[in-house]
Amino acid sequence: MAELELQSICKAFQHPVLDRLSLKVPQGEFFVIVGPSGIGKTTLLRCIAGLENLDGGKILFDGQDVTNVPPYQRGAAMTFESYALYPHKTVFENIASPLVAAKTEVTEIRRRVQDVTKLLQIPHLLERKPHEISGGQKQRTALGRTLVAKPKVYLLDEPISHLDAKIRAELRIQFHTLKELREVATVYVTHDYAEALSLGDRIGVMGDGGLVQIGTGREVFDQPNSLFVAQHLGQPTINVLDGQLQKDNEDLVFKSDEMQLPVSRELANKLKNDSGREVKIGLRPQFIHCLSEWENDKDLPVFSFQAEVELNEALGSYGVLLVKAMGKSLTVITSPEIHYSPGQKVELSIETNRSLYFDAQNGMNLGTDLTRMEADG
Amino acid sequence: MSLKAESVSPDWFKHKRADKNLIVNPVIPWLMIGFPVLILVAIVIYPTIWMGYHAFQNTNMMKLFYQDWEYIGWQNFATVLSDDRMWDSVGRLIQYLIFGACLEVLLGTILALTLFELVKSQLARVIILILLVLPMMLPPSIVATLWKFLLQAYNGAVNHLLIKIGILGPMERIEWLDAGLSLWSLTMVDVWQWTALPLLIVYSGRVSLPPAIYEAAKVDGASQFMVLRRLTLPLLKEIIAIAFIIRFMDAYKFVDKVYVMTSGGPAQSSELPVFIAFQKGIREVEIGEAAAYAWIIFAVAMVLITLFLKYLKKVLKAQTFA
Repeated sequence: MAELELQSICKAFQHPVLDRLSLKVPQGEFFVIVGPSGIGKTTLLRCIAGLENLDGGKILFDGQDVTNVPPYQRGAAMTFESYALYPHKTVFENIASPLVAAKTEVTEIRRRVQDVTKLLQIPHLLERKPHEISGGQKQRTALGRTLVAKPKVYLLDEPISHLDAKIRAELRIQFHTLKELREVATVYVTHDYAEALSLGDRIGVMGDGGLVQIGTGREVFDQPNSLFVAQHLGQPTINVLDGQLQKDNEDLVFKSDEMQLPVSRELANKLKNDSGREVKIGLRPQFIHCLSEWENDKDLPVFSFQAEVELNEALGSYGVLLVKAMGKSLTVITSPEIHYSPGQKVELSIETNRSLYFDAQNGMNLGTDLTRMEADG
Repeated sequence: MSLKAESVSPDWFKHKRADKNLIVNPVIPWLMIGFPVLILVAIVIYPTIWMGYHAFQNTNMMKLFYQDWEYIGWQNFATVLSDDRMWDSVGRLIQYLIFGACLEVLLGTILALTLFELVKSQLARVIILILLVLPMMLPPSIVATLWKFLLQAYNGAVNHLLIKIGILGPMERIEWLDAGLSLWSLTMVDVWQWTALPLLIVYSGRVSLPPAIYEAAKVDGASQFMVLRRLTLPLLKEIIAIAFIIRFMDAYKFVDKVYVMTSGGPAQSSELPVFIAFQKGIREVEIGEAAAYAWIIFAVAMVLITLFLKYLKKVLKAQTFA
């Protein structure tokens, strides 16, 4: 039984970093925090670990207030982005150090270190010192030191960011299946949205002052509550255009210079009184299609327009097309097999029911329920 | 056909290399090196050779005056090595090294780590460091003179203080510079002056340790004592050793305070090897014997310094990648 709860914690340095942040991570949950660099993700972890004193609020492990408990009595295990390996100790001693500190029996230490190193594929490095191994191996050693402990809360600060793609993918799968992680609460920090979507039971997107949105991967990806969240998740980044909602006969349309896009019926109902409102539209690149690639068995979309190719990036599993349409630059995801050359004219279509509309001033998603947003943030 | 890329310099590069834009009269480098070399020869190399020569002659003041010294082989060395005065002084040197240099490094380390752990304000740290370093900034002869006054048996401030706080009775006196205590007093004064050096070295070493590993240790659940024993001290081991080496080398040639405070006395009870060599050569003008003394001291220093350098090399190699 291990559960983490944060009750409106506050932390400021020169400016407020965490502003009344509340969060509950139940036992066995893998909670991923994603956000741009410098936003305070690491600070949040350090607060939970007890390395920073709070300016306000409470931290509870298992319902017990640990706000004023020193870090070494808290029972959290943390990886550091800078690895923080002990330079004079071997990999084995580094990984064993939390067990040594807890006065574990020698045979037990040996067994657990071996288990962990096997998992991380570093059993051949046990006798080496940190300066004799590569960056990725150091990171795995640091991760091993965290995993070997039996804490109440795991705090993982970008634990696999510096590994090569192959090992990263393998470890990502390991994280899904590791039973140690499922026995306690885990908070995992990353800046890689794909990692977040893959690993997180729930994802918290961090913005200024705290978590802007909390939800499952699908929720934060499909229904971002704000432009900030929409821009942060997804690769290539979502297309954002400034414009205005206008009445066109009886239908509501989005108008931006020469571009005019129909607003989906569902949303139009909700916003029928908002004609003339300044908005930003978010169009995910994967929801814009080249009509030439349109599969025959799908209904042809009602809405299409002409565009001119500016750049074509073939990335193996998909292609990224930079196009200019009606005076706007757009990113489009295409099939990798078809080659487009700059200057070529293409017919594009937008899945308008997948478009996201944000308030031009505060960036809030106009499509989501306002009550939900308040509950999250 | 070989695939090796040939390195062909482009023409502009060859041109640039051929361009002699620094034309110097070949005499100038010789002149620039020549003067320092001459000075070195005059004040170091010539006297060393002269000393080497006289170590094997029976030179003393009269013979030097009449220039009629003669070759006597290793006899000077035999005289020196069979002299009890020399072996007594070696014993005192060892005592001084153990209680002086070691105490300085020990105290310096304790002070440095305490300062780092207990004082968190940067300003307070700097002020305390300056205060602690002040004695080191004074010339040794001034320090020696100062303490000679403080340690006077009758009007000295130290005894006066001890009487005031009741450790000594009103009529009791401690003869700080007497035969039994003089070397201890010298050691104490030296510790007073030089503890700040290991303090500075260890403190800067502690400051440069990455804070992240201390945080990792905290999260790992290590207690304060464990952090000190398993993290701080092993990581500062080399730096403490270097501080010790520096103090050791200083202590080896320790002569200034001896000269000012006791002149080796009373009854030669505070003489150290270097002081005897000085005494023999300058006071008694037993040039031959003093030269032999100097050679022996030099040889021992060579051995010690070689060992230290070997150790330093190992340390540097170990720290290159850390």
